[in-house]
Amino acid sequence: MAQKESQQAVERELTMSRAMVEAIGHEMRENEEVFYMGEDVADYGGIFDSTQGLLEEFGRDRIMDVPISETAYIGAAVGAAQQGMRPIAELMFVDFFGVCMDQIYNQMAKNTYMSGASVNVPMVLTAAVGGTYNDAAQHSQTLYGTFAHLPGMKVVVPSTAYDAKGLMHNAIRDDDPVVYMFHKRLMGIGWMPAPDGPKTPVPDEPYTIPFGSADVKREGEDVTVVTLGLHVHRALEAADDLAEDGIDAEVIDLRTLVPLDTETVLDSVEKTGRLVVVDEDYRSYGVTGEIIARVAEEGLADLEAVERVAVPDVPLPYARPMEDEVIPGTEDIEAAIRSARS
Amino acid sequence: MDIMVAVNELQSMFEDMVTARYYEERLQEEYLEGKQPAFDISAGPIPGELHLAAGQEAAAAGVCRHLRDSDTVTAPHRPHHVAIAKGVDLKRMTAEIFGRRTGLSKGKGGHMHLFDPDVNFACSGIIAQGCPPAVGAGLAATKRSEDSVAVAFLGEGAISQGAFLESLNLAAVRELPVIFVVEDNDWAISMPKDRVTDVDDGSQRAGGFDMPGVRVDYDDATAVYDAAKEAIGRARAGNGPTLLEVQVHRRMGHFMGDPESYRPDEDKEAAQERDSIERLAADLRSEGVADDDIEEIRERARDRVDEAIEWAKDQPEPGPEEAYEDVFVNPPSGVTTEEPSHELAGGDD
Amino acid sequence: MSGNEDRVAVAAADVWPEDAEADETAVVVNWFAREGRQVDEGETVCEIQIEKVSIDVPAPTDGELVEIERGEDDELSREDTLGWLAPD
Repeated sequence: MAQKESQQAVERELTMSRAMVEAIGHEMRENEEVFYMGEDVADYGGIFDSTQGLLEEFGRDRIMDVPISETAYIGAAVGAAQQGMRPIAELMFVDFFGVCMDQIYNQMAKNTYMSGASVNVPMVLTAAVGGTYNDAAQHSQTLYGTFAHLPGMKVVVPSTAYDAKGLMHNAIRDDDPVVYMFHKRLMGIGWMPAPDGPKTPVPDEPYTIPFGSADVKREGEDVTVVTLGLHVHRALEAADDLAEDGIDAEVIDLRTLVPLDTETVLDSVEKTGRLVVVDEDYRSYGVTGEIIARVAEEGLADLEAVERVAVPDVPLPYARPMEDEVIPGTEDIEAAIRSARS
Repeated sequence: MDIMVAVNELQSMFEDMVTARYYEERLQEEYLEGKQPAFDISAGPIPGELHLAAGQEAAAAGVCRHLRDSDTVTAPHRPHHVAIAKGVDLKRMTAEIFGRRTGLSKGKGGHMHLFDPDVNFACSGIIAQGCPPAVGAGLAATKRSEDSVAVAFLGEGAISQGAFLESLNLAAVRELPVIFVVEDNDWAISMPKDRVTDVDDGSQRAGGFDMPGVRVDYDDATAVYDAAKEAIGRARAGNGPTLLEVQVHRRMGHFMGDPESYRPDEDKEAAQERDSIERLAADLRSEGVADDDIEEIRERARDRVDEAIEWAKDQPEPGPEEAYEDVFVNPPSGVTTEEPSHELAGGDD
Repeated sequence: MSGNEDRVAVAAADVWPEDAEADETAVVVNWFAREGRQVDEGETVCEIQIEKVSIDVPAPTDGELVEIERGEDDELSREDTLGWLAPD
């Protein structure tokens, strides 16, 4: 079969959820100390398919449905990780972090530092993020900036199946806590159709993508667009539309917020001189401000124009016309790119 | 019947229950429009998640019969039956669910976030997070020497959540007029109760807080009515909180679109068979209420629901720019030049 | 393309749930292989949705996926063919 694999002209493609699950399954087979805890992760397979099929292979001891007690089970993951196990704990919606944040930011994220690194916390916290399906203010946020702001957590945001698998392998093997934020709209779930783009060829064998390596998803000369998650695909669509008008945008997918690959961004801005940052999180005190600040600190001379596109500082509204208004769309990104060029 | 409940009370509960049941059936139809054959959660006239409460009506109807407009109710992500029993404006609630400008929250909240300050009703879509605000409403009543009470509705999945347990303790230690009503529909999405808690009877949680705990084993509206009467009476008299658990049934999945592949067929069938509405109809007949009168109640409920849905669908959608309003009641930047309007703060006074 | 006699159908009927209504319509949610891919028997080649349930469709044999007959978002019924394999 190996020969056949190498002759394979057309690669197998996976949805993002299947790519994530493939990496988790592989790591669980390799290391019996890896286990998964969350609400509806066993029989349901994860509300957003994050654990689909794992119960059948690994059983209830390793794919654990837990009570609706996020403080208890996420804290339990911290404790088990400090014992040297490699738990993965799932927060069904990132919006639910509010009920358990102490375990996340005061325990998981700080125990390494507070102990002078005499203990470490090799766990993964997975969480579904994002809007675009009218689930209103308590179930639609991304909160990228909230987690990236607080020191002690690595923060991962995949945008394609290929990246999702490689980043998940890395996340589970990492000796530090990793928050792995997957966008619902990218998972490839039947009832929440994904845009074109997140489903990609995915190698069968395991591979890692180092944290802190942004990916240039589209090369361009005129404007640098820095983004992550769902908005990588919206930015690529905008770039394709603008190409017809002779505007050549470069699209950088950050892939991880902590650590942050500032170098790739600076190199691009050095080339284009124009920076557009696109984020599905709130505008103020977040990813857009951070990226722009980094470029201002280290590449101010290259910078001719800056635009940011993000959710205005309002909670996510329910009704369709209002949600569409506040979550940046392709046309908003196009307008920002044009504006940065003018 | 060994529980004596006045016939007019039975009729009122029956009306709340048939209204709620028919409401959920009609919303299900509307929700699935545009979602077939492919189920796309963001398509159709009602997008987003929709958690329907068919099979849980008895708990809401039996408790809310004892409440006044000035009493506070907080409901969870599955709120419609509670809202109906509490007397929330049905038309504006429906307009909210359809995302219309004239909805209770001008289209900003949606079905998990219904607020009607006229009857002191509020929701949270986060499990158990309606409990602390209910304690706060009870605290306000106590501080103001008013005899109003607060009721927090929650599901059995919520009884392992910190916010619930902390609320029980705070309500108990301050002897606040709060009633915690656990609607036990056996399932927390895909997780059966026996896999997430070792107690069969969730009202046992009360014991640890030195609070009365009562369980109604069957979704019998009259039994709920009776248990709630005692609990609410105790709270109103200044004698502290009660935890009440009611066995109910989930007839329509956790949310619309839930394939329920994890749920045994026998369990689904059992939920369909145990029907508290037909049970109450039988009680009404045995109290001498004529079939025609029972049918008249059903018709009135259907007409009211149909009218609310038709009205809601005729309402205008909010404009995109309205998304920027209502973050604060005072202008968000600088100093306001006008006195803040106390009318906006809610309450019925 | 010549006749179907030398090709093997990826048939909806092979995975159609027994309890689904006879006239139910399914929808193709995802293809995991493109035309030209050499697939192994049992490999999930696509995913369909029937009555809100997602179902994986395995390749019935080793072979090359030579034609996708029902693409993503297309509707299908029980007797339809999703695609065709040329067996090894």
